[in-house]
Amino acid sequence: MAKNTLSSRFRKLDIDEFDENKFVDDHDEAVDNQGPDGTEIDNLIRIYPLRDTMSAFHLALRNPPLNTKNPAIKERALAIVLRVLTSFKSSDIEPAVKSLDRSGVDLLMKYIYRGFEKPSDNSSAILLQWHEKAFAVGGLGSIVRVLTARKTV
Amino acid sequence: VKRGRGIWRSVWEIFPLSSSNFAFSSLSPSDSDSAPVPQRRACHAAGRSLSGELLLSGGGAPQQARGGGPVSPCVSVCVRDSVCFRVFDHVNAIPFRSSKELLLQPVIISRNDKEKVLIEGSINSVRVSIAVKQADEIEKILCHKFMRFMMMRAENFFILRRKPVEGYDISFLITNFHTEQMYKHKLVDFVIHFMEEIDKEISEMKLSVNARARIVAEEFLKNF
Repeated sequence: MAKNTLSSRFRKLDIDEFDENKFVDDHDEAVDNQGPDGTEIDNLIRIYPLRDTMSAFHLALRNPPLNTKNPAIKERALAIVLRVLTSFKSSDIEPAVKSLDRSGVDLLMKYIYRGFEKPSDNSSAILLQWHEKAFAVGGLGSIVRVLTARKTV
Repeated sequence: VKRGRGIWRSVWEIFPLSSSNFAFSSLSPSDSDSAPVPQRRACHAAGRSLSGELLLSGGGAPQQARGGGPVSPCVSVCVRDSVCFRVFDHVNAIPFRSSKELLLQPVIISRNDKEKVLIEGSINSVRVSIAVKQADEIEKILCHKFMRFMMMRAENFFILRRKPVEGYDISFLITNFHTEQMYKHKLVDFVIHFMEEIDKEISEMKLSVNARARIVAEEFLKNF
């Protein structure tokens, strides 16, 4: 019994791959959102005094790159959304959040938490205010959904 | 009979919207009501201490004096959410990371680029890592020594980890075993309290170090 059998190739096989119950993320590459359009949003924010932050906000949340695996697209989308969020005044935050529907609030929460990962200047301060208002509308459910979502923005 | 089912309705009636494969099977949605109402209740499923107290600290939130707004409600809510776990596997999911479906998204909450809290959850445990503000050398040394002091006694601490996660100063690992033995809401309160107190502690220590140094220097220089 001490003698080795003929081939030990079986040792290199990862048997967990063949497990029927193994969990695989479903990849939905079909719908490939490219993220919000940067130039349009730039225009909306810069044209002063017509600073239409509200529609910039809605535009920014329109095409979330949920399904792509490409980190560049996600980074771009995140940067755009953060720009919009930081350009809001504190008093404007609440009506903006109220204008969103449920899934919009969830999406907003996801962006907020992503924004926290890279704190810069005063972004955290304003993000905390956004978080508070979004939490007031979305409740614990929105946070739980950020934690458990498999498709991250 | 599950008390406090009312709280969960707001989470559960809309939970199907998320695309997660989590097995939160024992909680079922009850009457449908659209507005989430914050309440304070303890909800115990028979035999399994699943959900903790849902305390929304929005109203009486202690405002942090150092600009940046109320971080603690932010963190407390997050920690409370991730502290709802059950006995799944005896192996802690976070350090081992064996299966993808057991892990939650890691979430960072930061007040500025020096202070942040990282929360990584899984089906049976949650790891909370804190990066403490250290403005100058003295604070760095004090913080480091203070954390080391506690981490060396991590066995008696139960929820503390012996080594902090990379990039942070201290880490707590709270598992389902801990939640079975200790009150969940108290655990969460402790973590929040810790975060708030640590800054004060370090400032106090710094003041006392400076005061002592001054006294010693005076006494010494009196000889000359």
